[in-house]
Amino acid sequence: MTDPNEQQGPRIGKDEWVARHGDNRARRAGIAGTIEERLRGVPWWAWLALFTGAVCLLPLGVDSGYARRIAFDTVIYMLLALGLNVVVGWGGLLDLGYVAFFGVGAYTYAFLSSDKFDLHLPAILTIPLACAVGGAIGLLVGLPSRRLVGDYLAIVTLFFFQIFLTVTNNGENLFGTDVTGGPNGIINVDPLGLFGRELPVSTDGVFNVSYLYVALAAFVVVYVALRFADQSRTGRAWRSLREDPLAAELMGMPVSWLKLMAFAFGAAVAALAGTLVTALNASVFPQSFEFPLLITIYTMVILGGAGSQAGVVMGAILISVLLEVLREPGDARGLFYAVGLLGLFAAFRFSSRLAVVLGGTIAFGLVAHAVAGAVNDMWTAGLEGDGSRLGGWATHWVIVPADLASWVTPVSYIGLVALTLVLTLLRGWNRIALLVPTLYLAAFVWENVMLVKPEPTRFVILGALLVAVMVARPEGILGEKRVEIV
Amino acid sequence: MKRQRWIALALALGATAALASTAGASPARVSGAQAVSCKSTLKIALVTPLTGGAGFIGNEQLSWAKYGVKTLAAKYGLKITLLAGDTPVEQGPAPAQALAQKYVGDKSVVAVLGPATSGAVAATSKTYFDAGLAHISPSATRTSLTKGTPREATAAFFRVVPGDYIQGPSDANYMITKLNAKKVVLIDFQEPYSVGLADAAQAVLKAKGVTTIRESTSVKTTDFSSLVTKVPNDADIVFFPSQQPEDAQTFGQQLLEQGKKAKVFGGDGTNSPDKFKLTGSYVSNFAPDISGFAYNKALIAGWKKDNPGATLGSFGPPAYLAVQVALNAIKKACDLGNGEIKDRRDVVRNVKRIVVKNSILGGDFRFSTKSNDPLNAKFYIFQIQSNGTYKLVG
Amino acid sequence: MDTFIQLTLNGLTLGSVYALIALGYSLVYGILKLLNFAHGDVFMVGSFIGFGALQLLGGSTDPIVPVWLLLILITLAAMAGCAVLGVAIERFAYRPLRDAPRIAPLISALGVSFFLAYSVQLMFGSQQRDYDAFSLDGGVLFLTGFNIGNVRVPLLRIVIILSAFVLMVLLWLLVTKTRTGKAMRATSYDREAAAMMGIDIDKVIVFAFVLGSALAGAAGVMFALRAPTAATIGFIAGLKGFTAAVIGGIGSIPGAMAGGLILGFAEAFTQGYISTRWSDLFVFVILIAFMLLRPQGLFGKADIKKV
Repeated sequence: MTDPNEQQGPRIGKDEWVARHGDNRARRAGIAGTIEERLRGVPWWAWLALFTGAVCLLPLGVDSGYARRIAFDTVIYMLLALGLNVVVGWGGLLDLGYVAFFGVGAYTYAFLSSDKFDLHLPAILTIPLACAVGGAIGLLVGLPSRRLVGDYLAIVTLFFFQIFLTVTNNGENLFGTDVTGGPNGIINVDPLGLFGRELPVSTDGVFNVSYLYVALAAFVVVYVALRFADQSRTGRAWRSLREDPLAAELMGMPVSWLKLMAFAFGAAVAALAGTLVTALNASVFPQSFEFPLLITIYTMVILGGAGSQAGVVMGAILISVLLEVLREPGDARGLFYAVGLLGLFAAFRFSSRLAVVLGGTIAFGLVAHAVAGAVNDMWTAGLEGDGSRLGGWATHWVIVPADLASWVTPVSYIGLVALTLVLTLLRGWNRIALLVPTLYLAAFVWENVMLVKPEPTRFVILGALLVAVMVARPEGILGEKRVEIV
Repeated sequence: MKRQRWIALALALGATAALASTAGASPARVSGAQAVSCKSTLKIALVTPLTGGAGFIGNEQLSWAKYGVKTLAAKYGLKITLLAGDTPVEQGPAPAQALAQKYVGDKSVVAVLGPATSGAVAATSKTYFDAGLAHISPSATRTSLTKGTPREATAAFFRVVPGDYIQGPSDANYMITKLNAKKVVLIDFQEPYSVGLADAAQAVLKAKGVTTIRESTSVKTTDFSSLVTKVPNDADIVFFPSQQPEDAQTFGQQLLEQGKKAKVFGGDGTNSPDKFKLTGSYVSNFAPDISGFAYNKALIAGWKKDNPGATLGSFGPPAYLAVQVALNAIKKACDLGNGEIKDRRDVVRNVKRIVVKNSILGGDFRFSTKSNDPLNAKFYIFQIQSNGTYKLVG
Repeated sequence: MDTFIQLTLNGLTLGSVYALIALGYSLVYGILKLLNFAHGDVFMVGSFIGFGALQLLGGSTDPIVPVWLLLILITLAAMAGCAVLGVAIERFAYRPLRDAPRIAPLISALGVSFFLAYSVQLMFGSQQRDYDAFSLDGGVLFLTGFNIGNVRVPLLRIVIILSAFVLMVLLWLLVTKTRTGKAMRATSYDREAAAMMGIDIDKVIVFAFVLGSALAGAAGVMFALRAPTAATIGFIAGLKGFTAAVIGGIGSIPGAMAGGLILGFAEAFTQGYISTRWSDLFVFVILIAFMLLRPQGLFGKADIKKV
C-alpha cells in the first residue's frame, strides 16, 4: 500500500528513467492549468522587459534615498546571482571564492579611477577593463579545476578567497608600497563618467537615482548575453558537462576549457557588479567582502533554482527583501506571521487539518498567555506595543517576559530546533499534534530571541534556508530537477 | 531563429541605451531643507554596532544614549525620540551607508550620534555632510576623520573623544618617560583602529630612539603563542591596541607562560576591569574613572537604576556626552530659528560653539578651534593592581 | 635555540588540536566522500559546551571539584554534546542527500556551518568566552612544568599533547581492532559491496560521525583552555583542519595525525621566523601546492576511480 504521505513524482537518484524534464509536462486541471500554460508560452524577453519596466517605474512611487539604495543593492545581488548561476548552475562547479571576484572588480575600478595612483580613466574604459581582469583571474582560479573535482575544487576556491582577503587587508605595505590601502580601504573613488559627463553620486546626500538605472541597464545586458550563451553550443556543452563529465569528455567536449569558461564568465559578471558598487559608494573596503556575503548569494541561487536565470533573479529579490525587512523589528514581526500563515496554507490547503492546526495554535497560545500572566505579571509584560495592530494583538498571544532569564534563550531555541527536526520524522496526526506547540514555541522564540538580535537572526535564517531547500526541494523555485548518474 | 535573436539583442541594446541616456538626468527632489517645528517630536539616530563581534560596544552606548535622552530632553524643552541603527562590523560599511540614506531622507532626524566605527564614518561622512546632517561620534578615533583631506574630514563630523593622534603619542610618551622603555613591540590586528593607533605610537617611539618591532595578526586570532615567542626576551613593553579585553588578558598570560618579562600596554579598547585584570599591565583611556567625580554620582546612580546588573564600561559615557552636545546644538538652532529648525545645517553650525560645564568625562568640554575634536584632550594611563582595580598613574 | 624549542612546542600544541579536527574530516570523507564543512563549527560548539560545563562546576576561580577531575568532566561533556550534534547533522542534513548530486551535500554542509555559527551567536552573543585556565588553582597549569634548556614546558601543554595522543591511539585501536572499525573500513572501500555483505551502512556512518564529532569536541576544549573562544573561530579552524587532513592524505587516520602535526609546525615556524602577517597565506599556498601536485597527500593512496 502506498503511503499517502510519500513524496509524489520521481525521486532523485532512484528513478532516473522517469525524471525527464522538458516538454513532457502534465497539465494541471481546470483554470490553474490554463493559466499555467499561457504563462509558460510567454517568451523570456517579454518577462524581462516587463520586469525592467516595473523597476524603472519604482522610483516614481517610492522616492527616498533609502529605497533607492535598497533597490540598487537588490540589482547588484541579482547580478551576482546571475554570475554564480553560470558557475554553479550551468557548470556544476562549486565556487566558494566567488565573492573574491566581486572584490577584484571593485578594487580594479578603485585603482583605475581614484586618487590612489592618480589614474582617472573614464568609466567606459574601466568597467570593461575590470571585467577583463576579473575574467582573467577567474581563468587562473579555474586552472586547478582541470585536475580537481567537487570538494577539492571547492576548497581551492575557498583558499583563493582567503588569499584575496589577506592581501587586501594587509596591502598597505606590500613590498614597501601601499597597494590596497589595507583595512582602511580606498576612498575618494571617482563616480561613473558616461559619455563625457560625470554622474554625481548624490545630491545633498541623497543617492542619485541614475545609478539605479545604470545598474539595471547592466543587469539587462548581462541577462541577455548569458541567455544567448545558454542557448548556444557552449550552454549545451555546459549542461552536458554538469550532468556527466565523463560522458561529455568521451563525446569530445573540451571539458577543461568549458570549466575555465564557466569560471571566467561568472567572475566577469561579479567584477562588473563590483565596479558599480564601488562607483556608487565612492570607496572600497576589504570588510565588505566577507564569507556571509558568499552564503547570501548561494542562498539566492539555490532558493531560486540553480540553472534557471529567472529563478536566481527571483531568489535574489526574495532574499534581499527578506534581509531588509529583518532589519526592523516591527516589520520583521509581520513577516514572521505572514510567512507562517502562508506556509500553513501551502502545506494544508483548505482542509480540516488547517483549521485544526490554526485553531489549536491560537487557542494554545491564548491559554498559555493567560496562565503565564496569572502566575506572574512580569512574565507577560515585556512587549511594548509598537503602535501597529499586529503588535497589539501579539501582546495578548505570545508570552514576552519583561526580564528574560539568560537560560531561557538557549533552552527555548535549542528546543525549537529539536522539535522542528523531530517533526520531520513524524507522520499523520502525530505530526499535527506536535505542530501546535512547535508553532507557539516558534512565535515565542521569534519574539524573545530573534527580534532582539536581528543580525545573527538573518544569517541563521539563511543557513537554515540553504539546508532546507537542498533537502526538500534541491531544484529551488524555478530550477530543473537534476538526476546525477553515478 | 537567428533573426529573432538579433532582434531581441537589438531591442535590449536599444533599451539600455535609452536608459543610459536618462542617466545623468536631474536627480529627484531632496527633502533635507524643509523646516521642522521644535514643538514636534524630533529624532536623533544612534549608529553603532549593536550585534556582531563589537556588539557590546554598541549596546553600552545605546544604554547611555537612552539615559541621556530620557534625562536631558525635558531639560532643554525638547521632545526627542532616539532611533538605533545597527552596523555590525562583520558586514563592512554597507549597513552604515543604507542607514545614512534612511536618516538623511527622514526630515525629522536632526542629528546623528555616531557612526561608532571609524570605517563607517569614512564611508558615510560625505553623505551626511552633503545632507547637512551633524554626526557626532562617541568612539570613532581614526586621525584622518578630523585631520584628513576635506573629503574625508567633513565639517559636519564631530567627535567627543580624542583621536588616535592623541592616544598613540601620549601612550608612547608615557612609555618613554615613566617606564624607561628601550624596546617596544607593537601589535596591530589588521583593522583600522589598531593599525592607526600602532602607527601613531610607533612614530613617536622611533623618533625618540626607542627600538620598535612591529607585528601584525588577524583580528580573529585568539591564540597568540607564536606571536609571544617572537617577543624578544629583553623587550620592555608590548603595545596591544585590541578591542577585545579578553585577548589582552590571554596575551599577558601567555607572556608569563613563556617567561617573557614584557608588560602589556593596552589602548582604550581593552579598558574592562572584569576582563583585563593582569597585575602590572597598563591601560590607557580617554577619561579617568567617571565615578571619581562628585557631580557624576547622581548621574551614575540614575543610570544604574535604569540598567540593573550592567557594569560601568568606558564606551558608554561618551555616548551620553554626545547626546548632551547634540541636544545643546538642537536647542540653540531652535532658539535662533524662533521655535523651528529651518535647515538641519543650522544644527551643524551650532555644534562647534557648545560648551558643557562639568561634563561626564571630567572637566568642561569644548571643541578645539582647529579641528572638530575635543579641546585639550588627554589620555589617562592606568596600571592594574593586584586586586584587579585600575590605578591612575599618568 | 630557545626560540626554536619554543616554536617546536607551539607547533606540537597547535598540531595536536589540528590533528584531532583532521581526524573527524578523514573519518567522514573516507566513508561518504563528503567534506563536512560543518566540522569546524562542531569544534566551536564543543568549546562552548566545555565553557558551559566549566561554569556549572563553579568556574575557573572556584571550582567544586579538583582541577584534574574538572578537566576530564568538561572534556567528556563537550565530547558527548558534539557527538549528539554530529548525529543530528548527519541525520537531517546529509542522509536525505546521500544519493543526490555531489554538489548537494556540500551546499547543505555550508548551510549547516553557517547556521551553527550564527545560532551560537544568537544564543550566547558574540563576545569571546575565556576559560581563564590561568586562574585554576593559582595558575598551576601554566606555571609548573619541566624545562628544556631555557624554555619552560607548562603542565597544560603537556596535558593537551598527551591527551590528544591518547585519543588518537584510542581511535586507531577502535578502527583497526574492533568489528565496527572493520565495518567502517569496508564501507570506505566500497559502500555497495559492504551493504551487500550485510553491513548496516547507516549505523556505520553514524558511528563515524559520532567518533569524528566527539574528537572535535575534545579538540574544542583543548583549544579553549589556552585561548578565548568565540562563535567565529569555527570557520578558520575547519579550514586548517581540512588542510591538515589533505596534507596527510584524506581518508587515512595516521595521515590525519601526521598532517595535523605538520600543519602545526608549518604555522608555528612561518609565524615565528617569517611573519605573522603572511603566515596564513603561506599555509594556503602550501595546501594548494599539495592538492595540485600530490592530491592523495602523504599517506593516502592515489584514487583510481572505476568507471
